[in-house]
Amino acid sequence: MSLSEEMVRAIVELDESRAIEIAKKRLEAGEDPLKILDDLRRAAEIIGEKYERGEYFVSDLVMAGEILKGISEIVRPKLKELGVSRKVVGKLVIGTVEGDIHDIGKNIVVTMAEAAGFEVIDLGVDVPPQRFVEAIKQHNPDIVGMSGLLTLAIDSMKRTVDAIKEAGLRDKVKIIIGGGRVDQHACEYVGADAWTNDASQGIRIMLKWMEEKKR
Amino acid sequence: MSKQPIEEWMERHRKEPDIVVKEKAERFLKAVELKEPDRVPLMFFTCGHVFAKWFKLSEVYFNYSKMRDAIVKFVTTFPSDIFIAAPAAEGFVLAVAFADVPQIAPVVRFITGPMHDILKDKWTRWPGRELAEHLPFQFIGGEYMKPEEYKYLIENPVEFIHNTILPRACENLSKPGSAQHAHTIAKLALEAINYLNALTEINNTLLKLGFPPLAITFAYAPLDFIGDFLRHPTGAMLDIRRRPDEVKQATEALIKPILQVAFILKPTGAKFAFIPLHLNSMLSPKLYDEFYWPYLKRVITELYSNGIKSFVLFEGDHTPHLDTILELPKGWGIGVFERGDIRKIKEKLEGHTCVAGGILPGQLIGWSPEKIEEYVRELIKDLAPGGGFILAPGIAEIDPAIPDANLRALINAVLKYGARK
Ligand code: B12
Repeated sequence: MSLSEEMVRAIVELDESRAIEIAKKRLEAGEDPLKILDDLRRAAEIIGEKYERGEYFVSDLVMAGEILKGISEIVRPKLKELGVSRKVVGKLVIGTVEGDIHDIGKNIVVTMAEAAGFEVIDLGVDVPPQRFVEAIKQHNPDIVGMSGLLTLAIDSMKRTVDAIKEAGLRDKVKIIIGGGRVDQHACEYVGADAWTNDASQGIRIMLKWMEEKKR
Repeated sequence: MSKQPIEEWMERHRKEPDIVVKEKAERFLKAVELKEPDRVPLMFFTCGHVFAKWFKLSEVYFNYSKMRDAIVKFVTTFPSDIFIAAPAAEGFVLAVAFADVPQIAPVVRFITGPMHDILKDKWTRWPGRELAEHLPFQFIGGEYMKPEEYKYLIENPVEFIHNTILPRACENLSKPGSAQHAHTIAKLALEAINYLNALTEINNTLLKLGFPPLAITFAYAPLDFIGDFLRHPTGAMLDIRRRPDEVKQATEALIKPILQVAFILKPTGAKFAFIPLHLNSMLSPKLYDEFYWPYLKRVITELYSNGIKSFVLFEGDHTPHLDTILELPKGWGIGVFERGDIRKIKEKLEGHTCVAGGILPGQLIGWSPEKIEEYVRELIKDLAPGGGFILAPGIAEIDPAIPDANLRALINAVLKYGARK
């Protein structure tokens, strides 16, 4: 098995120390850091599929997220050193909406989106509508992701979309909402473009949007 | 228009509360004993958010007599067979910190608004304080223990929590040995007495209105204790992979103080121990069976062999772990299930566990009264036979966004279709 395959396997098996060890070894051997990042995307995809099939649980996603984060933290300085940058597939501004501090799901989305090649601007939790608006102005993202688990989060999402509309930015971004209790009904009420209860499905939707945008 | 069942029932509450109380208590007991009561019991559980229908939450949470008014308003508008109000935030950590002080421990098990003012704890946020006045309080938890500190938790959990965690998580307890610290503890003790008196008065009021109090005590799942109060849920989930042995030793060490707290109320006649679960649905069966369940099971069985049944809130979708429940002794207690197919859950647990749940806030908010009536009718038709079923919203809150007409439709439907065939 190649080191690349071995690393993907270690990540999928959630073997943190082994995965990081292999990543370090590969960097030391002078391997292209972009290849390592690409492996992270592959690993994230497999893990996402396992989660969708009910084989993996949230705690597994959380651990996987830590491993992905850990490895990309080792890889990033190397990229800088070499002066190369990864091809960014798109830009995502994401946050847990006002009044809600649940962020386990959002953090999983952040790592999976980064692994998939997105540049992610994470606004954190309890994010008021105005901060989303400011972030859109500042970063000019392709997509805005909102997370929320409380019932009241649905109203915060709506207020956020309204604020984005008011600022005249609604046409500039696609909006996706997520969190265990959002559904089609909430999506329509909020005025978002898509909804999901599943991070990997969310990533697929976002990738599809980026494909469509390219055309 | 003829009278709705709910109106007749409310009239009986006013005319003959004693009889209504007796009926409700029997109905509940039958269900817990896994039998079929005269009618499917309806249970409402609230942490006070629903009072936003009529009151400013910042007032309800910080004024115990307002709290009583709110409770009275709720039960006289939306009657149920089993009514539980815990209008205060998760604070089991305080109960463990004061496990050796039986006068205080069970009363501070929930952090009330005034207690939050006294402690200035960072585990919770409150309306009119950290939050807008109309919002319900929020438990936000946090990370107050470093991963390297498991050894202290294992060595002596009560002492570690009292001496190290409380000072970190409560601003007004930040300097042990200071006058401010002593003052804060004294005020907390006084507040505990205030709250206990308020609770007693609320229970007496409820009894007169036809609502039997539930003799309840409290316990916790050891791993949730670590996730909720010490390491944050994410931290706990990472620790079980990075420091599995220490996590196991810590969960083991927490069993004793958790039971100690739970048994404090035994002499007062407590018959049920309330246990809300959090990490359950996030763990794979493998991790659940290794880090979560063995310790929770010990808590539940130990309570059971001491005459206390558990009242467990299985948050999220507990389906992957359902089989483990069958390891408990038959009649061990009540399981409230949030998500998952309640029919399958009941089928699996029938004759073993009293199953509660069946309808979700989302359904109650979004559906029409007619749809709710029809849904409840079918639910009862399928789940009442065989006994041991309590109809309840699957979470510990009645969302204030549920239209009044829908709540009434729910109650009416239970009264209309719930009687034993
Ligand atoms: C962990 C937890 C907490 C932790 C949160 C820790 C944290 N930092 O996140 C703590 C203990 C602090 C907490 C506090 C509270 N909680 Co809480 N909590 C939970 C719990 C147990 C799990 C939630 C979770 O993390 N799920 C796992 C994640 C991975 O799932 P997820 O968020 O759905 O994410 C997935 C997808 O939806 C998707 N996704 C998520 N976001 C996004 C965004 C985008 C853009 C995309 C594409 C995808 C995506 O990706 C993820 C992976 O697939 C649930 C119950 C349950 N079992 O679901 C209750 C629950 C959500 N909590 C609840 C409540 C009421 C509260 C409190 C208000 C309690 C209180 N009275 O104090 C406070 C609220 C504080 C606040 N202001 O938010 C209720 C919500 C009820 C409601 N409908 O309003 C629940 C449902 C519990 C219940 N049954 O009553 N909670």
